[in-house]
Amino acid sequence: MTTHRNIEFTLNGRLVSAQVGNHQNLVEVLQGEGLFGARESCGQGLCGCCTVIVNGSAVSGCLTLAPLIDGADVRTIEESADGKLDVVQQAFIETGAFQCGFCTPGFVLMTRQLLDAHPNPTDDEIRHYLAGNLCRCAAYPEIIKAVRLAAAKRKG
Amino acid sequence: MTPFELAEPRSLQDALALLNTDDPSVRAFGGCTALMLMMKTGVFQPTCLVSLRGVEPQHAAIQSDSGVLRIGALATLTAIGGSAMVRKAAPVITHAMQTLSNVRVRNVATLGGHLAHGDPHMDLPPVMIALDAELTAVSVKGARTLAIADLFTGYYETALAKNELISEVRIPSQAGRRSAYIKCTTRTADDWPALGVAVSFATDGKVIQDARVVVSAATEKAVRLRDAEAVLNGATVSDAVLTRAGEAAAAEAEVVGDARGSAAYKREMLRVYAARAVKQALAA
Repeated sequence: MTTHRNIEFTLNGRLVSAQVGNHQNLVEVLQGEGLFGARESCGQGLCGCCTVIVNGSAVSGCLTLAPLIDGADVRTIEESADGKLDVVQQAFIETGAFQCGFCTPGFVLMTRQLLDAHPNPTDDEIRHYLAGNLCRCAAYPEIIKAVRLAAAKRKG
Repeated sequence: MTPFELAEPRSLQDALALLNTDDPSVRAFGGCTALMLMMKTGVFQPTCLVSLRGVEPQHAAIQSDSGVLRIGALATLTAIGGSAMVRKAAPVITHAMQTLSNVRVRNVATLGGHLAHGDPHMDLPPVMIALDAELTAVSVKGARTLAIADLFTGYYETALAKNELISEVRIPSQAGRRSAYIKCTTRTADDWPALGVAVSFATDGKVIQDARVVVSAATEKAVRLRDAEAVLNGATVSDAVLTRAGEAAAAEAEVVGDARGSAAYKREMLRVYAARAVKQALAA
C-alpha cells in the first residue's frame, strides 16, 4: 500500500519538493516548509485562518489533501514583493483591522481575491465574500473599512 | 487521519473501474471538503480514495440543450454560481449559492459530491427537487436516470449504489415558473441551516399551479410536502392561503431536532418559512 508520495510544487514563486502522506493536509505541508501564516484553527473550513491560494483560487488549507498540491502554484501570506507590504496589508494596519492578528493572513488573502474579482465591492459583497472568515476579536467593522480603503488604494 | 492510498484516474471509466470493488471504504471525491470532515473526525477511514479531479473536463461542463440546463457533476459550486447560463435558466440556484458555505469551499466542492453526500443540511438538494431536476448515475454496468426527488433515501443515505457516480444533473425548462429557496440559520449567517425551504410553481394569472414545496435540514432528508402543495394548487394567493400552506407544511413534515434547534422550534419556523418562500417566489 502506497500511502506517501513525493510532490513538487511552486511555493510563493519558488519550486519546492516534499514527501507527504496522502492523508496530510496543505497546512501541515506548509509548516514543514517553515511557513506558519496559514493556521489550522477550526479545522472545518469555516474560519478562514488556513486560507491558501492554489492555482489562483482560494482554498482552505486544512481541507486540502497534500498530494493534490503536486504541480500546483501555491501562494501564502508570506509571499511578498521584495519584503514590502501590499495595499491590502497597509489598509488593514491603517484602519486597525485586527487585535490579536491570528485571523489576519486569511482576511488579507481573501480581500485580495475579492478585489481581484470585484475592484469596487459594495458592503454587501464584502460581507458575503468574507462570511467564511471569522475574527474572534470581532474587528469586523474595521475589516470592512480596511477592504473599502484597500479598494480605494488600488485605484490609486 | 489514518493513512490511505490515493488513486488519480484520468478518465471517468477508469474511476468507475476503481470503484467497482467490494471494499466499502473505497470512495470517490471531487472537492473532498465534506469527506475531509468525516475523515478528520474518524467517522470515515478509507483504505483508498479515488480523486475525480483528473477525469475528462467535459464532466465539469455547463450547457444549455434545447431548454434543458445540463450541469456536469464535477462543475464546482463557484463555476455554477458564476454561470450566466445558470442565472438565466434557474436564478434560484445562483441566489442560493451566495450563502452556500463559503468562497473557499465553493471553489473546490462539486455539484456531484454535494448531492451524493446525502447530507440533509445541504442547500441544493431541496432546490433541485423543487426544480424537478434529474441526474445520470453511471457505473461499469452503464448509465441510469434518476429523479433527484428519488435520490435521498434517509439521513446521509442515497439511492446510489457503492459503485455508482453522478455524472450529470439536468434541470428542465423553468419557463412560466417561479422559484425561491430560503433557509434559517440559528448561529451565524453561514452556519449549517436549521431549516431550508425551496418552492417552485407555475402561475396562471394569480392562480398557483403544479406547486412543489420541499423541506430540508429540519428533516432526515430533503422531501416534498404534498399537503402544503395541495393547499397551493389551484389557489389564488392570499394571506389566508399562505397561512394554510404553512400550517399544512408544519403538520406533515417529520421534523427532527438537533444542535441548531429543537423539533418544536424547527416546526414553528417551517410554518413561517414555507409561506415566506412562496411570497419570495412571487416577488422574484
